[in-house]
Amino acid sequence: MSKSDLFTLEIIKSGLITANEEMFYAFGRTAKSPVIYEVLDYAVAMTNSDGDLIAQAPGVPGFSGVLDFAAREVLDKWNGELFPGDVVGLNVPYKSGTHLNDVTLAMPVFYKDELLSIILNKGHWSEVGGMHFGSWTSDSTEIYQEGILLPCIKLYKEGKPNKDVIDIILENSRLPQHTLGDMEAQVASMKVASRRVERLVEKYGIEMVKKAMEKILADGYRLALLNISKLPKGVFEAEDYIDDDGLTDNPVYVKVRVTISENEFVADFTGSGSAKGSIASPYAATVSGVRETYIAVTDPHIHFNGGYFRPLKVIAPPGSVFHPVKPTPTSTYWESMAYATDLVWKALAPHVPDKLTAGHFLSILATILGGVDNRIGEPFAIVEPQPGGWGAGYDKDGESGLVACGDGETFIASNEVYEKRMPIMVDRYCLNVEGGTGHGKFRGGFGVIKDYRVLCDEAYFTVSIGRSKFPPWGVAGGMDGTPNYCVIFKHGEEPKVTRKVAALKLRKGEVVSLRSGGGGGWGDPLERDPERVRMDVKNEYITIKVAKEIYGVVLHPNTLEIDWDATNELRQKIKRERQKKTTK
Amino acid sequence: MVYRIGIDIGGAFTDLVGYDDETGELVWVKDETTPHDPSIGVLRTISKSGIDFSKVFSIIHGQTLVINTIIERKGAKVGLITTKGFRDVLELQRSNRRDMYNFRYQKPDPIVPRYLRLEVEERVTADGEILKPMKEEDVENALERFVKEGVESICISFINSYANPNHELRAGEIVQGRVDAPVTLGHEITREWREYERTMTAVLNAYVKPKLIKYLTKLEEAFKERGFKRSPFVMLSNGGVATFDIAKKFPIYTIESGPVAGVIGGVYIAKLVGDSNVIILDGGSTTTKASLVEGLIPRVHTEYYVERTKTSAGYPVRVPVVDTFEIGNGGTSIAWIDSIGNLRVGPKAAGAYPGPACYGKGGTEPTVTDAYVVNGLINPEYLLGGAMRIHKKLAYDVIEQKVADHYNISVQEAAEGIIKLANENAAFAIRVVSVQRGYDPRDFTLIVHGGSGPMFAPFIAQELEIKKIIVPVIPPGVFSAWGMLTTDIRHDLVYTEIVRLDKEPAIRKINDIYSRLEMKILEIFREELGVGEVVIQRYADMRYYGQEHTVKVPILSGNIDAEEINVIVNRFHEYHEREYAFRLEGPVEIVNFHVVGEYKIRKFELKEIENPAESSDDALIGERRVYLNGDDLTLSVYNKQKLSPRFKINGPAIIEDPTSTVLVLDTQKVSVDKYGNVIISESGGI
Repeated sequence: MSKSDLFTLEIIKSGLITANEEMFYAFGRTAKSPVIYEVLDYAVAMTNSDGDLIAQAPGVPGFSGVLDFAAREVLDKWNGELFPGDVVGLNVPYKSGTHLNDVTLAMPVFYKDELLSIILNKGHWSEVGGMHFGSWTSDSTEIYQEGILLPCIKLYKEGKPNKDVIDIILENSRLPQHTLGDMEAQVASMKVASRRVERLVEKYGIEMVKKAMEKILADGYRLALLNISKLPKGVFEAEDYIDDDGLTDNPVYVKVRVTISENEFVADFTGSGSAKGSIASPYAATVSGVRETYIAVTDPHIHFNGGYFRPLKVIAPPGSVFHPVKPTPTSTYWESMAYATDLVWKALAPHVPDKLTAGHFLSILATILGGVDNRIGEPFAIVEPQPGGWGAGYDKDGESGLVACGDGETFIASNEVYEKRMPIMVDRYCLNVEGGTGHGKFRGGFGVIKDYRVLCDEAYFTVSIGRSKFPPWGVAGGMDGTPNYCVIFKHGEEPKVTRKVAALKLRKGEVVSLRSGGGGGWGDPLERDPERVRMDVKNEYITIKVAKEIYGVVLHPNTLEIDWDATNELRQKIKRERQKKTTK
Repeated sequence: MVYRIGIDIGGAFTDLVGYDDETGELVWVKDETTPHDPSIGVLRTISKSGIDFSKVFSIIHGQTLVINTIIERKGAKVGLITTKGFRDVLELQRSNRRDMYNFRYQKPDPIVPRYLRLEVEERVTADGEILKPMKEEDVENALERFVKEGVESICISFINSYANPNHELRAGEIVQGRVDAPVTLGHEITREWREYERTMTAVLNAYVKPKLIKYLTKLEEAFKERGFKRSPFVMLSNGGVATFDIAKKFPIYTIESGPVAGVIGGVYIAKLVGDSNVIILDGGSTTTKASLVEGLIPRVHTEYYVERTKTSAGYPVRVPVVDTFEIGNGGTSIAWIDSIGNLRVGPKAAGAYPGPACYGKGGTEPTVTDAYVVNGLINPEYLLGGAMRIHKKLAYDVIEQKVADHYNISVQEAAEGIIKLANENAAFAIRVVSVQRGYDPRDFTLIVHGGSGPMFAPFIAQELEIKKIIVPVIPPGVFSAWGMLTTDIRHDLVYTEIVRLDKEPAIRKINDIYSRLEMKILEIFREELGVGEVVIQRYADMRYYGQEHTVKVPILSGNIDAEEINVIVNRFHEYHEREYAFRLEGPVEIVNFHVVGEYKIRKFELKEIENPAESSDDALIGERRVYLNGDDLTLSVYNKQKLSPRFKINGPAIIEDPTSTVLVLDTQKVSVDKYGNVIISESGGI
């Protein structure tokens, strides 16, 4: 390579990366469904002609791993039969998908007759048919109940819409105009990226662009090895339970065995149980979940690509909750996918403290509160995740009220906006300090309490809450966090504590109180700086009683001054009592 | 001699521009910024300018104290009084994880610790009805606690106060005068909905207030001592100016004080040369800022964030701000080699201290300026008119050691790599404000200023196929300060009320709200300046019913009837389609009512060049050896201040003035308009 090419390649590389960002914004700007332009439930990417990921721009971290799988599925099926202007659509979960709502479109980019790249756009379509409005559901038992399956088929052939296929899709949708609008916006955004790639080829030549793609992958691989070399080597294991299998109340046992060597990072989920309901995470989604932690422990700010993921291997036995087979339903796949992320995290947290915290509240707490506002005769719906408490780090307290690992740049709506728009009142939205948190040398962050009061005659409430039975984990002597749950206050009934509710009818004046848990602690609470304990009491994060009983810090009840002698004495006493217990 | 003066504080330099209304003479001074006390740098530029302050007609000041106080967390101890049940709004924020793969992500600090966030029993509904009267005793108790804790500034912000501020007003009355701390009421800063955004904006106002009051008072006194008799102005983020008194009350309005002046100045130039669609690029010493202006009207929005980066959610500041995009790429950006051996430029910068290696002030990292010096793109003798000494040897050595040796290439090749990457970064800023927002940069003229902007521009234009670049006649390095002289006194009021246009009584409501806001704006002008001749413009943030995002639509003044509503709806469809590429059926609503009041201050006019030179030889300074695209070239160097409309220059060539250098590429040609603005275009083009 000539010397000046060295820097030109850098410029082409950044051109390819920004092409993805531009495709990302173009789709966000032109899509018609709020789930795209507000929740950012989509991702775009570009691969080389072999399906290796060159660059990606995801709206949520959960999509970091699924698009190159889709590119490979397209290349496998259509080998030699792709032409300029083709667009392939696919959503079957088992090879490269997530759930049927997430439809991936793939567009080949050619220079003359040579396939140069596959451009991909995966977006959540509001409607793809199935047993319930909106297609995804928590009570399905087979994939066929969740909508129409698109098995890697051409939606456009050489630039022309494949009308027969598109008509079938639209006929199966309850919102055909949205479905069509989103598909067209996806295609338009992909053209933005393909034009940019073509421009780069015009300007720098096909060989330089191919070289830049190779360099991206080679650099990615080198960076990955460099970053892996900084990780501890060995075998790390973790196990846990998912609250239920999606249909019954039985927990699902899950485990991982992470092996890190000089040039490999293997996550093996062998031994994990299976699920009957829709919570199973398709293999590609499981890989996505693992990639999230892999990125987090190696370099959270990486422009990741196929080369960067080359050292990563994910083993998940077919039939397990991490690798469902047809016709297992996968509508609420995020419930298990979050555990793929969390298990690897849990296995590594004590060993990679500069990158990982203790466990967090994990569950998206997907909430729907809706109905018809009888005061104006119009429908309304709140569809949202809830934030919660994150785990402590080795040197910091956990964050309070942050969205779960499955969400990213996801904004929790403003209460003032809700109160204006919906027949509801938010009685309070505050930190769930009464729910507590994982205490420790550094403590977990707090979850939230959000109390919705219904102001119209009737409304329907649905919620799916995980980590309600098995709280977030602590590290290095830090205590476990606290569970997620909700409380329903109905007229003339005792408050009811629950974690899964489907379309419960609420009347005017009734209240649902969503409560997310606190994150896990890090280190022994007795080692917490008494000054921090004092400030926690002053800030009313903990009570003076907790300060004393858990942290062994004695404060003057009025001035909150630290009684150092009493504190030292109490801390030693608690330690002695602990020893007694263990020797017994 | 009647002077008007603009003073702009930047990251590395404080600039002063004085314009003599009678003679049209322009005086400028550039001196180092003094971060520990910016007023020192300001007063130093004043002394250096030699301007007699008793003859100064107006002073407009753009400062960075507000934003720096926030960034450095050096504001006041703030106490917040809020609604029961919502104490944690500042800490919960919007809960987004902006740095999504970073599991150790930290939210922005809530500014006010929990023990100083105190609740009051009160509740107003979204429709502005009082559901629970305010328990005044709770306010008294909060006040008592604040006094005990030594609170220096108080903020009161209640839920739904945008719909009915009575409780905030009453609480304010109780607190006022009882404690030696300024009071900020949430609804006074903005009447927009969203409790976190409104509360945080108000809290940041309270946070910077004591410091800004002190700073402005000090300057005011210093101006007075020097014989200045009038009331000085500050630059606001909305592109207008206001008196020091307004800024002391609402310092948060000045958060982007400096940068927006360059946009306003750019629009002035655009109007002068007759280009209505422009991208204004400000290449500074540590950052590059880009702003796209369509139809000569800068986009003013209230979705500004301070400290928001790719890895931090930042703080929302819901005050009107001229839309600009900024990246960490400027003349003093540092070139470095990443962990796998790729060359990068920025976002770290050497700034004024220690500065680029070639400044000889102890800089040990190679910067973009060092690369320019090594390859002959800038004249080491001429920086700041020769006032600043440049050490070419130091630049050469640092690039050799830190870059060239690493790749085993020549120092000139290494320097060229640094320059290319810096150009690419600057081009990215323009892509963000154009391509990412649905505009084609080829439809725009590029107006450049700042010390490094003119150096980036010709490369960017080539890369993005922009046909025309304008380098204003004003020295690019002090253009922002000059831009302040082109501003008007401006106030914005934004008020949230949801009005569906297909429902009764929309027409009455809309008319009522606009006339109320207009009265209020006139009142502000009367109080501030005692003037009544205010030009009023209306806007509405509108959207499709059921959607979240809005589009800002201009609204005609005067009474609005059913027919006009139809016009407004159609205009909304049009604007929505342009911004989002589609239109929808179904009802349309107004979310925010936005009223702008402007009081035009006497403007100067740029003078045409007198006695233009006949031949380009008059402007020719000499020749310089330059390394460009792998070749050693000898280029003619022209003095920008002596260029004349009578001749053209073909690239490659260098045009320089004491504050910046333009490198015209071989495919480009240069002409000059009658004011002395330099116009660069592709040879094949216009």
